[in-house]
Amino acid sequence: MIRRISLIVLLVVIFFGFLYSVIDLEAFFSTYGKDYFFANGYLETGSLNLVTGIYLDYRLFDSLFEAGILIAAVSGVTWISQHEITEKNASFMLDKQITPGLFITFSRMVYPFMLMFGIYVILFGHVSPGGGFQGGAIVATAILILYYIDSKKATSIDKILTIEKILFLTILAVGSISYFTKGTFFTNPFALSASEAVKSIYLITLNVLIGIKVSLGLVAIFTAFLKEGR
Amino acid sequence: MSPILTIIVILIGLYGLATSKNIIKSVFCVTIIEAGVILLFLNLGNLEGGSIPILGNVIENIVDPIPQALMITTIVIGSTITALALMLCIKIFHNYGSVEWKEVLGREE
Amino acid sequence: MIELVSYLLQIILIVIAISVVIHKRNFTIIILIATFGLVAASLYIINKAPDVAIAEVAIGSAIIPLIYVISISRQREFIVLDRTNDGFIEYGFELSGEGYQILSDFVKEFDLSLNICVDIQGQAKKLIEELNVDLIVTKDNQTNQYVFYGKASSVLMTKLKNQVKDKPHIKIITLKEEKKND
Repeated sequence: MIRRISLIVLLVVIFFGFLYSVIDLEAFFSTYGKDYFFANGYLETGSLNLVTGIYLDYRLFDSLFEAGILIAAVSGVTWISQHEITEKNASFMLDKQITPGLFITFSRMVYPFMLMFGIYVILFGHVSPGGGFQGGAIVATAILILYYIDSKKATSIDKILTIEKILFLTILAVGSISYFTKGTFFTNPFALSASEAVKSIYLITLNVLIGIKVSLGLVAIFTAFLKEGR
Repeated sequence: MSPILTIIVILIGLYGLATSKNIIKSVFCVTIIEAGVILLFLNLGNLEGGSIPILGNVIENIVDPIPQALMITTIVIGSTITALALMLCIKIFHNYGSVEWKEVLGREE
Repeated sequence: MIELVSYLLQIILIVIAISVVIHKRNFTIIILIATFGLVAASLYIINKAPDVAIAEVAIGSAIIPLIYVISISRQREFIVLDRTNDGFIEYGFELSGEGYQILSDFVKEFDLSLNICVDIQGQAKKLIEELNVDLIVTKDNQTNQYVFYGKASSVLMTKLKNQVKDKPHIKIITLKEEKKND
């Protein structure tokens, strides 16, 4: 009982501390960064969506580390759930349930539309809201609906992981092309005076690579959960 | 007023994390704390007003685009942390036989 | 007008967070988490961030509840491997037999469900460590006793020992895991 009361007192102290500091926020603000992006963002990166321009051109370093964290998580989940017993003819009694016919029909109708929407969000990430990470999550959800239709079609995880590692190295290679044309790493390699259509080749390529990589990573995590111990 | 309501959500999640008896409920509360923190960052970027950071028409002022780019990364990392934590929970159940904190911690040799 | 809508949605968010902390069954909290993600995504759009809203809906309401459902349903089953061939557990239209009675009374106390399988080959010790089998039932022909194999560090084995203390023809052996060098 004493523990709960002291916990509530601690939370109230944190709340009043935050209240005191949020009252006078105007003294911290400075709009230098926002004005710079508003004035020069379109000229230097070539994308109308400024958020895509930030995480693909100004801060590509952060996106590379996020892709690295995805690889680390996928490898961790796969290593914990592995086992060496290869006799797979065991049939557990609770696994013999049949999915209802309504689910199967509905999944067959919905699957092509979800796939098309995911590819659209990936490809047009530099013009409208969207991008590599968001579209990759939608494509992963579309592939996972296939497990409703036939739950024995889970592919082996090894091929998926090999493709994912090759894609990560390709992203690193495409990001380093700009060392030869501009002298610095991880930025748009085309010159500043090129037209918008030429500058957006780099953005579309990186968005597609990141999208495929994220979707394969999420599918691998889900497959490791399904096959754990069976 | 709006940042104050968001900090209440974060503190409720923190209370749930500290006093939960089930391992899976602790993972639920981590998801709640993460969504509250993202909302707080986006709220502090919108205090002056402006429009969506997508150029195209004639606009005068935009919202700060840097916190939005960082929060996309945060969402993806939060989901991978949840997946890793739940895989460890399944292994704990098969090794110790229960998913309560007191029984699992008292059993360690 | 937009401010009133955003205040109302934030109060709904607080109510959902309180009910997640208070609720007791894990399966209903999953639906509350999916609703929490949707309301949070609407608040992100009102704060003028459409990219973050698409990411939150796709990941927080479509992929995360799937992973939660699988892991919660794996934590509710008790896997038993049956290697006796003589009617300790009978498989017909409905399961019956003396062994089935004992096991199903045992798992009903702890809110688990019984999952029986018959045909996995391999050694007993290796199966328990790697394939997550919880209990192996065999029959010792020389002393005419039923032998249960289980894990030494499991809380359920202690409780099972308390329950079959007064039945002399059932013996329980617990296997201890060896320490591995990591």
